[in-house]
Amino acid sequence: MSTPRPDPNHAVEVRGLTREYTTRSFFGGVTKVTKALDGIDFTVTKGELFGLIGPNGAGKTTTIKILTTLLTQTAGEAYILGLDVRKDLYEIRRRIGIVFGGERGLYNRVSALDNLHYFSDLYGVDPTVARSRIPELLKAVGLADRADERVEKYSRGMKQRLHIAKALIHDPELLFLDEPTIGLDPGGARDIRNMIRDMKKQGKTILLTTHYMFEAEELCQRVAVISKGKIVALDTPAELKKGVRDIAVIELRTYGATADYVDRLKQLPNVVRVVAELDSEVQTIRVQTPLGADLLSQVVSALPPDAKIIDRTIKEPTLEDAYLRLVEE
Amino acid sequence: MGSLDDLTPGKRTEGLLGHKGQVIKACVVLTAKLFFADPQWIIPSIIAPFIFTLVAFFLFGGQAASGSFLLYLVLGSGLMGMWGTTIYGSSNSIGFDRWNGTMEATLAAPIPLSWIALGRVLFNTFEGVINALFILAIGLVWFQVGFSLVSPGLFLLASVSTFLSLSAFGLLMCTVILLSRKGGFITNSMEIPVYIATGTMFPVSILPLAALPFAFLLAPTWGIEAIRLSALPGYVGLVTNYWTDMAILAVETVAYLALAFVLFKRVEAYAKRNGTLEEY
Repeated sequence: MSTPRPDPNHAVEVRGLTREYTTRSFFGGVTKVTKALDGIDFTVTKGELFGLIGPNGAGKTTTIKILTTLLTQTAGEAYILGLDVRKDLYEIRRRIGIVFGGERGLYNRVSALDNLHYFSDLYGVDPTVARSRIPELLKAVGLADRADERVEKYSRGMKQRLHIAKALIHDPELLFLDEPTIGLDPGGARDIRNMIRDMKKQGKTILLTTHYMFEAEELCQRVAVISKGKIVALDTPAELKKGVRDIAVIELRTYGATADYVDRLKQLPNVVRVVAELDSEVQTIRVQTPLGADLLSQVVSALPPDAKIIDRTIKEPTLEDAYLRLVEE
Repeated sequence: MGSLDDLTPGKRTEGLLGHKGQVIKACVVLTAKLFFADPQWIIPSIIAPFIFTLVAFFLFGGQAASGSFLLYLVLGSGLMGMWGTTIYGSSNSIGFDRWNGTMEATLAAPIPLSWIALGRVLFNTFEGVINALFILAIGLVWFQVGFSLVSPGLFLLASVSTFLSLSAFGLLMCTVILLSRKGGFITNSMEIPVYIATGTMFPVSILPLAALPFAFLLAPTWGIEAIRLSALPGYVGLVTNYWTDMAILAVETVAYLALAFVLFKRVEAYAKRNGTLEEY
């Protein structure tokens, strides 16, 4: 049976994509086979901003690595701009850009200018074009004034902006952004999100992976939720949120709330889930419940005597609430 | 912050050397910048050659050594320095990206990894030339070695060819490091045997018979012979014919290159299959 040709309107087309990792013993025998991807299917339309979200180890990075031709699948097909990831790797690489999250991917001992010149040559950009495009990109990402400085002196946010410039150096049609705002301060993350919007406006197709649900909700037209190597939901953020319309969220901001308090909340009847950030001076606690405001008095009375509520609100569920339900089911 | 609108549209290169030439040039330039950005470059390029030369000079007779024998020593020390730098620098040409966190970015480039490695190896071997030139300078200035060559033209040709053969050998070693994270052990352990087998410090002809096949398979052995034939008056080498040495050098260099390119293909296939190449 012949494989159907990829749809020309699709920038990404994935069919039954499977990837297994085999661990071998010292003598070469197979000791363990782990299925990182278990037959996933999805498409990304040209010009779309598509999100791939999921917990650590869900298969996001494996998916990105296969789609960017850095890893071979065990089974299934994947097409990028109509090209097969197994056969047309160099043509695919010419037409895609990749932004790696974290500190990876830059030469820190040389300048931003040196990095961009190097990668423009690696991607075969015409040198006369590179001479004008590199300063334009540095200006666009706000690094023109510090282009000659060594990258090791850059802040995390500046490095991430340089990553964006690097990914755009060869004017790719499709961009893979792998957790581009991870570890950035709120201002730096906002700058990156604005750049992502700009890229979308320019007609680029974008596949974004992120841990931040508000980011996916704010930026993505459609989102795929991946868990344990399978896509458990794929829709617009609005449609995904409908999956949790049976609940409301009580959001508290407190001083002095403890893990014990969170445990007590989890024991209350009609509490579906409690998500708490207790690390900072002001804690944020989100209680999902079908009772909405009717549960508020119990939530408040469970608070330790020395703790204080700064703010309390009843909210509509967010994409994060929908996501948590999907990955925990 | 500016805007991403109104950027000059991207266009692919159409130069005389094309994309491959552009990549080789870019890799030479970047490797040079990274090399000189680290102040420690002085250790392998200036301090180590100085020690090499001193050891060789005193080992082979100190003040008693003179004339063309001193030149023999200086050339040998230079080639030892060149080889030492090649084995460390070239074999780590791509391995460097592993601990620098740039392996994925390098592997994602739209060109076979071998062309990227070739550019890096060329500069890393050139570091060896810096090393050799420094040894020559020490010989000329400190030990007053007379630098009168039998044939300067043939000497230059043999030196450039040996440089290229070392680059090709470095490229081959580069694949060893990539195929196994323990590859550094293999390449490092080759340093001393190759010094001996290629005849940098004493003629290959005095080696035991069993060691000769290994010596003959090393292209630098023939390069060193050709360099000495073109530099030292009355030098009696293995073959005593400059052009025969050069022909063997050329054949072996091409064989190294061919083998390196085949192995790089395997490395890339391995990387795609296992996805572990970037792990350090």
